Amino acid sequence: MIRKTLYAALASLPLVYGSAAMAEDIKIGLLAGVTGSYASEGQDTKRIIDLLAENLNAKGGINGNKIQIVLEDDGSSPATAATAATRLAAAKVPAVIGTYGSAVTEASQDIFDEAGIVQIGTGSTSIRLTEKGYERFFRTAPRDDEQGRVAEESLNKLGFKKIAILHDSTAYAKGLADEIKTRIDENKRGEIVFFDALVPGESDYSVVLTKIRAANPDAIFFTGYYPEVGLLLRQKKELGWNVPIIGGDASNHADLITIAGKDAAKGYRFISPPLPTDLDTPLTKEFLDSYKAKYGSYPGSIWSVASGDAFIVLTEAIKAKGTDPEAIAAYLHNDLKDVQGLSGKISFNEKGDRVGDLYRLYEVDGDGKFVIQPE
Amino acid sequence: MDIFLTQLSNGLAIGSIYALIALGYTMVYGILRLINFAHGDLFTIGAYFGLTILTTFALQGNVSPLIIPWILIIMAAAGVAVIGFLLERVAYRPLRNANRLAAVVSAFGASIFFANALKLIYSPNRQSYPVDILDLPNIPIFGVDVPSKRIIMFATAVLLMSMLYWYINHTRTGTAIRAVAIDQGAARLMGINVNRIIAFVFMIGPALGAAAGVLLGLFYGQIHPEMGFAFGLKAFVAAIIGGIGNIPGAMLGGLLLGVVEAIAGGYISGSWKDAIAFGALIIILIFRPTGILGERVADKI
Repeated sequence: MIRKTLYAALASLPLVYGSAAMAEDIKIGLLAGVTGSYASEGQDTKRIIDLLAENLNAKGGINGNKIQIVLEDDGSSPATAATAATRLAAAKVPAVIGTYGSAVTEASQDIFDEAGIVQIGTGSTSIRLTEKGYERFFRTAPRDDEQGRVAEESLNKLGFKKIAILHDSTAYAKGLADEIKTRIDENKRGEIVFFDALVPGESDYSVVLTKIRAANPDAIFFTGYYPEVGLLLRQKKELGWNVPIIGGDASNHADLITIAGKDAAKGYRFISPPLPTDLDTPLTKEFLDSYKAKYGSYPGSIWSVASGDAFIVLTEAIKAKGTDPEAIAAYLHNDLKDVQGLSGKISFNEKGDRVGDLYRLYEVDGDGKFVIQPE
Repeated sequence: MDIFLTQLSNGLAIGSIYALIALGYTMVYGILRLINFAHGDLFTIGAYFGLTILTTFALQGNVSPLIIPWILIIMAAAGVAVIGFLLERVAYRPLRNANRLAAVVSAFGASIFFANALKLIYSPNRQSYPVDILDLPNIPIFGVDVPSKRIIMFATAVLLMSMLYWYINHTRTGTAIRAVAIDQGAARLMGINVNRIIAFVFMIGPALGAAAGVLLGLFYGQIHPEMGFAFGLKAFVAAIIGGIGNIPGAMLGGLLLGVVEAIAGGYISGSWKDAIAFGALIIILIFRPTGILGERVADKI
């Protein structure tokens, strides 16, 4: 009974949401987890897409036609995502933006593919999503192996030859560590002098630091999360050792500074996709101003911003080619080059993956601020 | 050799924290044959009390940095002693004569309650003690640069443990505690107020745990509401290695566990160090089922 009511409520959602629809409106589907465990991501995604659609419609829409967003909630779960995707397919949208979570996105891929709908994934970084040969699947999020590539590149650019790699045994951190190791071995631009894990959640990392110190590296790359980074920096300083530590995007969190202290955190570097607040382009400035005016704060997640990027490329494609999914997909694959998005320039390769350097290098300054480094 | 000595000092430092917490397990077990599974959380509460006292009274900068640890330890220990007393009254005393399993379940309930209360009061995020507190230079020992913080922490822990050892062996209350541990009935016949002694033990143990929490916060920096579980588990293992119910055993077990972990982490693998430490426990228990300093207690457990 409850389930029936819920489905009825969900089914009526697109209707209510788009009640001002006109005949010539262009429908764009939005698959987002506005409920469930990723609700904060999903809600921010909805806010960003609403805002961008509103702004575009205020400027006259696409070639005079208004954009209408058809939202379906994926409940942050693969099972709900499949039913939500079926409903979007039934609503005959030419293209869908979404969603957050690789497993959730994967559950919707087949359905959109069979319905011939273009899908642009947002917070879905798992490698295999674009390895299945779907012709109309794209994503504005970087792939998991992209970070490894950029990490190796950055280590080389910074001139470090003897590298210590440390992870925390989680699937994400271990995967990234393996990726970096493979690339260093392949490119032969450096040497791995240490490769091991620490146990996350502990208070004392001086044992592992002492062990790394014995290997005498030029730099430590730690692929884990910010609490451990904070302690590593703090305890490294206490040991009187000044080897640089570099990290991945899981360390992009302001609490890092409170844990490590400004002195110990100074000079810490990490790679991460940039937030629009760090990119000084007219587009991001306009976006941030209107976002703040409407919602009172700045968007906090790079993944919801990636959905804004999806909206931008999709409307570009519709502007150029109309609403035929095949034409949109062909345009995104072949013609769309370096469009300015909220997180940098956007282009896609033949697999539908985003190309170009999305990751940027950050360095912590003396005041504990994360400063984006010039490209 | 330098590396070995450094790892040894790392192990002794964290081991002194394990030892302080292990004392709480072992004392309670000694008199009640009960594993107080909420003890790890009392340690966490101590760490949070220390942070609150440090920030509320703005001690930093106004008081000599060498006195700050003692102020924090005494105040946090007093606060946690009260919680330990209440815990015994509410969660354990009503079950004193019940099935032993009931008390264990009650202990787990108390543990969950404390961890969640901390999350509600202090937020589930990690918190840190200020970095620049106790900003002292490193001290070279045998050619190894040891952070002076570690030395202070180790010395403080050893001092606290010595005080406890002296107290248990050389005072009337200490004698009473030992008497209750050996035989509650006989102790009662000798005119010892057993309930009062048990309540007292539930204050000393948590107070030492709180001291360990303050030391951890001061010297390693970061605290979070769930940390009591991991530390509690390690300290419990330390108490068993040393021989549960035995006070010098808990101290020895704690230091030993810290050193084994550091050596395993330093020479084998950081990700395997817990497995190795717990493996050491199994080996010790195979050869000495009552722990290293375990008494000839046929009737324990």
